[in-house]
Amino acid sequence: MVAIPSRVVTALAVETRDLVREYKGGVRAVNGVSLAVASGEVYGFLGPNGAGKSTTVRMLCTLLRPTAGWAKVAGHDVARDAAAVRRSIGVALQDAAIDPYMTGRELLRLQGVLHGLSRQGCRDRADVLLDRVGLVDAADRRVGTYSGGMRRRLDLALALVHEPVVLFLDEPTTGLDPLSRVTLWDEVRRLNTELGTTVFLTTQYLEEADQLVDRLGIIDDGRIVAEGTPRELKAQVGDPTLAVTPVRAEDRARAREVLSGFGPEVLGAHGCVAVRLAAGAEGLAAVVRAMDDAGVAVREIDLAEPSLDDVFLAATGRHLEGDEAPAPAGPAPAASR
Amino acid sequence: MSWDGSAARQTGALAWRSVVTTVRLPQAWVPALFFPLVLMAIFTASFGGAPGNIPGFPPVRSFLDFAVSGAIVQGVLIGGTTAGAAFATDIEGGFFDRLVASPVSRTAILTGRLGASVVLGIAQALLFVGIAELFGADVAGGPGGFMVLLLITALFAVAVGGLGVFLALRFGSAEAVQGMFPLFFALLFFSSAFFPRETMTGWFRTAADWNPISHLVEAMRDEVVGGAEPGTVIAGVAIALTLAVLAVGASALAFRRRLREAP
Repeated sequence: MVAIPSRVVTALAVETRDLVREYKGGVRAVNGVSLAVASGEVYGFLGPNGAGKSTTVRMLCTLLRPTAGWAKVAGHDVARDAAAVRRSIGVALQDAAIDPYMTGRELLRLQGVLHGLSRQGCRDRADVLLDRVGLVDAADRRVGTYSGGMRRRLDLALALVHEPVVLFLDEPTTGLDPLSRVTLWDEVRRLNTELGTTVFLTTQYLEEADQLVDRLGIIDDGRIVAEGTPRELKAQVGDPTLAVTPVRAEDRARAREVLSGFGPEVLGAHGCVAVRLAAGAEGLAAVVRAMDDAGVAVREIDLAEPSLDDVFLAATGRHLEGDEAPAPAGPAPAASR
Repeated sequence: MSWDGSAARQTGALAWRSVVTTVRLPQAWVPALFFPLVLMAIFTASFGGAPGNIPGFPPVRSFLDFAVSGAIVQGVLIGGTTAGAAFATDIEGGFFDRLVASPVSRTAILTGRLGASVVLGIAQALLFVGIAELFGADVAGGPGGFMVLLLITALFAVAVGGLGVFLALRFGSAEAVQGMFPLFFALLFFSSAFFPRETMTGWFRTAADWNPISHLVEAMRDEVVGGAEPGTVIAGVAIALTLAVLAVGASALAFRRRLREAP
């Protein structure tokens, strides 16, 4: 029996309604999550440790039974039709250990056999996937010699052996260095655009959510507290921040006076004056003209959209903890702590 | 749990993986070979050709003939602990979850691991008998006796492997499984694995009488030493089979319990 699933055409790749997971003692790790992920979408769960991200993913992957509500993956109910769900999904769970004494190629072929591919099919699929994730040169080395980034890419390849329609990635880049992180993002993006694979990922990194996902659910305390595209979410939080650094320090008071007409002042970095730009990004030209008219020589002018951390702050009243993602180049988002 | 052609293939693949990862990790198999061989060598050197002078000892050509069966059983016990610890590592490390979240036959997850225990147990028995023969031992029971030896080895490997898997499923920790090892060892020493029951007295004799390992080893040993009684052999095979069935049953129940959360 060849267990390659035919590509199930459903409008929704993942759908949950009032999903609850209660542990013994009444603790609700997931407390009424309703969401819908369209086919071909990259959906991300952003939240701190213990928010319920992994528990939700474990329910969607048929590893944990929901205690209330329901969930469908690729059109199949996770509790009633788990076998069909398992044929449709690829899973790379958090920190999954990979046999250090086997080679990448051996593990991929083993995964092929487990999914019912023919002998030749296993070989071919291993070759294709090794190439896809850039591990051709390391294919016959034992996994114990791989770097963290290589292991994660192998983990990704293992989840793709049977061409799943939905791919679950639980914190795919936690603990990776920035370069490996970017490489993995590229892989995930390519998968999504070239094969149309729906991706459901969890992350505690703001930058990852910003860079990788089409749509984002912010999860805190087992509930989705905000949802939308990163752009929408940021727009909901409010106006962009404009920071002006005058050439001469003594001009700062004057700059503050000018800027006060454009929006309320906010705390900016050292040496600059910052306001929430009430007119939005379109107001930038007027600010520049006003500065010029007032005779303030400007060294630097910085227009920054609200960051996802601002979004998280607005939704939960806290900053996102555990965000160790390196600050991206360019205007730095507000500090994460 | 279902069983079909693909489950058999999955069992083979998972057993292959378990054998390969064991063989490539010397810490996993060196103790299983080293300790029984050392013990066999020490006993043989200590008693030399003189076991006939010890009261109660059966007439043997060499102590090696007598010792090889105990060594095999000891090796299987160590191997079963390793198998259980490896299974627990799979649970701790996420390999188990990956299997459960895939369409792999649930049965194959168990049978793959137990199949590997059988393969490794048989390989070990062949090696030990080979080494013993090199130093002058001989299986008096001939090919038939040798088959009995391997059959009991295989059944006992399933039993110990099943017990290891059961402990892994219940505790989910490799350390907890390895913690059971001294208990296995005690069980081995309170049996007739190294000395005939005829040389024992008192409570020690009683313990050895009741210890199932005594009967396994004696059935194997009689095939090597010669003069195997059908009753002894049947008892040995039956006890090994019973232990195997009990251990597989217990591990299957523990497996089902752990999978209760996975619909």
